[in-house]
Amino acid sequence: MPKKNIAVILFLFFTSLFFSQEKKTISGIVYDEMNKETLIGVSITIKETKTGVTTNEYGFYSLTLPKGNYTILISIIGYQPLEEKIDLTSDIKKNFFLKISNKVLDEVTVSTNSNKRINVRKPEMSVNKLSIQEIKEMPVLLGEVDIIKSILTLPGVTNAGEGQSGFNVRGGGADQNLILLDESTIYNSSHLFGLFSVFNPDAIKDLKLYKGGIPARYGGRLSSVLDIYQKEGNKNEFHFNGGIGLISSRALVEGPIVKEKGSFVVAARGSYAHLFLKLVDNPNSAYFYDLNTKLSYSINEKNNLFLSGYFGRDVFSLNQNFVNTYGNAVFNLRWNHLFSKKLFSNLSLIYSDYYYGLTIDVIGFNWASGIKNYNLKYDFKHYVSDKFKLNYGIHFNYYNFNPGKIEPTKASSGINEEQLERKYALESAAYIDIENQLSENISVNYGLRFSSFLRLGQQTYNVYENDQPVTYNSNFLLYESAQPIGTIFYKKNEVIAQFQNLEPRFSISYAFNDDESIKASYNRMSQYLHLISNTQSPTPLDVWTPSDKYLKPQLLDQIAIGYYKNFKDNSYTLELESFYKKIKNRVDYIDGANLIANEAIERVVLNGNARAYGLETMIRKNSGKYTGWISYTLSRTEQQVKGRTPIETGINNGNWYKTGFDKLHNLSVVANYKLNEKWRFGSTFTFQTGQPVTFPTGQYEYEGITIPIYGARNESNLPLYHHLDVSATLTPRKNKGRKWQSEWVFGIYNIYNRQNAASITFRQNDETALNEAIRLSIFGIVPSATYNIKF
Amino acid sequence: MKKIFLALIIVMAIFSCEKVIDVKLNSSEPRLVVEASINWLNGTDGSQQTIKLSTTADYFSNTIPPVTNAVVFITNSDNQQFDFIQGETPGTYECSNFVPFLNETYTLTIVYEGETYTSTEKLLNTPTVKRVEQKNDGGFLGEDIEVKFFYDDIQNETNQYLLKIKDPYKVIPEYGVLEDRFFENNEMFGLYFSEDLKTGDTINFTLNGISLNYFNYMNIVLSQVGNNGPFTPATSTTRGNIINQTNFDNFALGYFRLSKTEIKEYIVQ
Repeated sequence: MPKKNIAVILFLFFTSLFFSQEKKTISGIVYDEMNKETLIGVSITIKETKTGVTTNEYGFYSLTLPKGNYTILISIIGYQPLEEKIDLTSDIKKNFFLKISNKVLDEVTVSTNSNKRINVRKPEMSVNKLSIQEIKEMPVLLGEVDIIKSILTLPGVTNAGEGQSGFNVRGGGADQNLILLDESTIYNSSHLFGLFSVFNPDAIKDLKLYKGGIPARYGGRLSSVLDIYQKEGNKNEFHFNGGIGLISSRALVEGPIVKEKGSFVVAARGSYAHLFLKLVDNPNSAYFYDLNTKLSYSINEKNNLFLSGYFGRDVFSLNQNFVNTYGNAVFNLRWNHLFSKKLFSNLSLIYSDYYYGLTIDVIGFNWASGIKNYNLKYDFKHYVSDKFKLNYGIHFNYYNFNPGKIEPTKASSGINEEQLERKYALESAAYIDIENQLSENISVNYGLRFSSFLRLGQQTYNVYENDQPVTYNSNFLLYESAQPIGTIFYKKNEVIAQFQNLEPRFSISYAFNDDESIKASYNRMSQYLHLISNTQSPTPLDVWTPSDKYLKPQLLDQIAIGYYKNFKDNSYTLELESFYKKIKNRVDYIDGANLIANEAIERVVLNGNARAYGLETMIRKNSGKYTGWISYTLSRTEQQVKGRTPIETGINNGNWYKTGFDKLHNLSVVANYKLNEKWRFGSTFTFQTGQPVTFPTGQYEYEGITIPIYGARNESNLPLYHHLDVSATLTPRKNKGRKWQSEWVFGIYNIYNRQNAASITFRQNDETALNEAIRLSIFGIVPSATYNIKF
Repeated sequence: MKKIFLALIIVMAIFSCEKVIDVKLNSSEPRLVVEASINWLNGTDGSQQTIKLSTTADYFSNTIPPVTNAVVFITNSDNQQFDFIQGETPGTYECSNFVPFLNETYTLTIVYEGETYTSTEKLLNTPTVKRVEQKNDGGFLGEDIEVKFFYDDIQNETNQYLLKIKDPYKVIPEYGVLEDRFFENNEMFGLYFSEDLKTGDTINFTLNGISLNYFNYMNIVLSQVGNNGPFTPATSTTRGNIINQTNFDNFALGYFRLSKTEIKEYIVQ
């Protein structure tokens, strides 16, 4: 199958080349006219041929066409479209400058309607984009604009529950999302255990979520890619903007270093220390901060340099007795180079680091764990013709995992210092990806990624009888950890285990006309890292572990089909998609598995399978006073761990069980209304099936306490989850004609004060000794106000 | 780990609210439950022992049905049999001539409703409590009375311990299981703090050496009774070490374990 694929690719490649006539190239960069930021995802369409291209992550485009006269249309959300006639008799280099469609502070466009249409001809599907303006318009918890929370309103995206971290795409685990910030992997996307996300919205330029049909240039995670790009900074003049909210304050400074050539942006955000706990009169604190920086420098027309950094930390401290610190740090250097008008390249060197630290003085220890990651990516985009584009590149990723180090905080603590053995791995990949417009109505995108994963020494590796680190006790129907029967020592950089996978990707679109199309896609993905966590959603202390002999790489196959339509002169769009996916080697844990400080994780995990299928619909209204969207997803997400032999029971007797983030129904309604220049209103309604849970079916008494008896896993559900949030944005009229602009954002989260169950737990009351069910609701009605300023 | 969740819950507590609610639950078939904990109290001859038998009940039921018509006995490796006779409290079976020996292997046999259940375990050693320390600015917030019971880890072997605290303000005891990982051959301690404790209160600390299997068993059981809120791991019913020899699928819940037992009573200063 893979060989055949390559043959097809080569065939198509050559046919395209042989049939080419004399062609010329128009290329350049699309900028925002005001601040000279490059614009990502701008569509450049040739009216006559109905072909086109979108600008890449660096604003670059290139189109190669037969000689002739063309009308070129340049458009993107939030900007006034531009139409220009070009006479393509020789190669042209042309940069375009787009005007924001409405110049109010963070304005969302409502006036023009041609720019939110779905690109029905592009074979790209299962992709959602949100502009940062749209995100800022949505009502949010405590006034904290939150990128991760905003994508939960999109079809196919959920999370485990209120206040929980991470997100789940089409039934995938939260650890199966590749989150990229300026091409660097972010390992933990949440602040304060999931209440907020780590991205400062002021510093973000663009984001794109791939749920399926994932192009071959992405890999390493199964379920989705959230590709986020930071602002480059204003190349013309200095600007400041900031905001004061209930939870945090933000400030951003941007400006030119060398006018029109170089720019910088520095954005900082910090929550107030003692945030929640100040209420209690104690020296406690819980706060977070993050810092985003970026330097851009254009050496000449062919070379651009970018230096970006991110640093974020959460600090949680109870009277210095319990101190918990965690966060990401990312540093990256990128070099854009144009080999020719048709060949764009980007080289990225990335260092990223995730740190988790914990001190518990009552017991007397320090704990630190983390992951360090060195990453090199060299990506090429080859704009062969208007109908044929080629992406290829290579990626290398070297990992250094620190599963944990424990040390005593004082001599009397009784703890022995111990460094759990570090783990090392090299993940590499090479890919080729082709976009090809076969006819006026049919376009295809096909590619192949070859990925390889090497587990490297130095490490002492456990050996188990029959290679089984988990044994089955048939007397008690229990999985138990096996004792190693020996160890093998691997020297530094010696290969401990290796895996290779070919990952084909394919998508096709068939356009009935300019406004209506059907698309289909298939993608295979492999993931070599596992997040070891047995809670419903990730917590910061979860440890990433590389694949080895016992923990096999996760593999996914996904197919999706979809129908797309723009109607009523593009003021409405409709997307309808259905997907099915299958995952191999999804881990689950034996009962009572202790995952913390576990040096031999293989002794508590079982490999299983997962599957998810569903139907997603999204209707957007793009123009008029009312804008917004309705998204509805009907889906099922299940997991299965069968016994390895007929006597073994597996988990849940080997039957499929719902995962903790299965949501049969998931509805979001996002509605915005612009009353006038002064007032804008936003609202979001969320309605979901309650989270699957396992409720007790009985009790027994043992050693003076009552213990619940559980039946089949995840057979019950929490009550329906729903809430309505509203916001109002006030832009004072006096902003007009003055240099500094201000705005107020008022919000109410959960306006009808629904007591949604975050969990229902069962316990024995310690005063009456009777059993009771406790519902925990995290957020009732929560009002907020934020003040933003810009000059 | 539970403590971390506790911390998470504190963060959420500012907004969150807990409410006792009614939930409709399914029921399951009743099963035999065995509480066969042979505790050889330090300083005694260990001849007096009790085993409790009951059945499972609906989760919200207020009564636990005792089992009163079973035959219960333990044999040692010399086939010496110790009979457990029904006591005054329904469901209790008592023995007054039990002979405990360290590291001796014992087999429990129960005959109930025509089916025979057995289990075999070793009697394990338990260290003694060396000293008790009290701190009046203890706990995470530095506001609670905190008591530490110190004991020495049993030398040169991997050990697990069951710790029990009886707080005068709570009707149910608190349990914890501990392994000597990170503490091998060092002094270890049981830690308890509570905002309710005051001078003159008596707290009762019990320590038992336990097997790795029992450690794993109690780990699961205790995670099922603990209130971890939204961070509760998925779970299922755990079988103990009692095997139904007549009808394998009609398994019993509970456990058979034997050990020396250290009890320390402490009066808060």
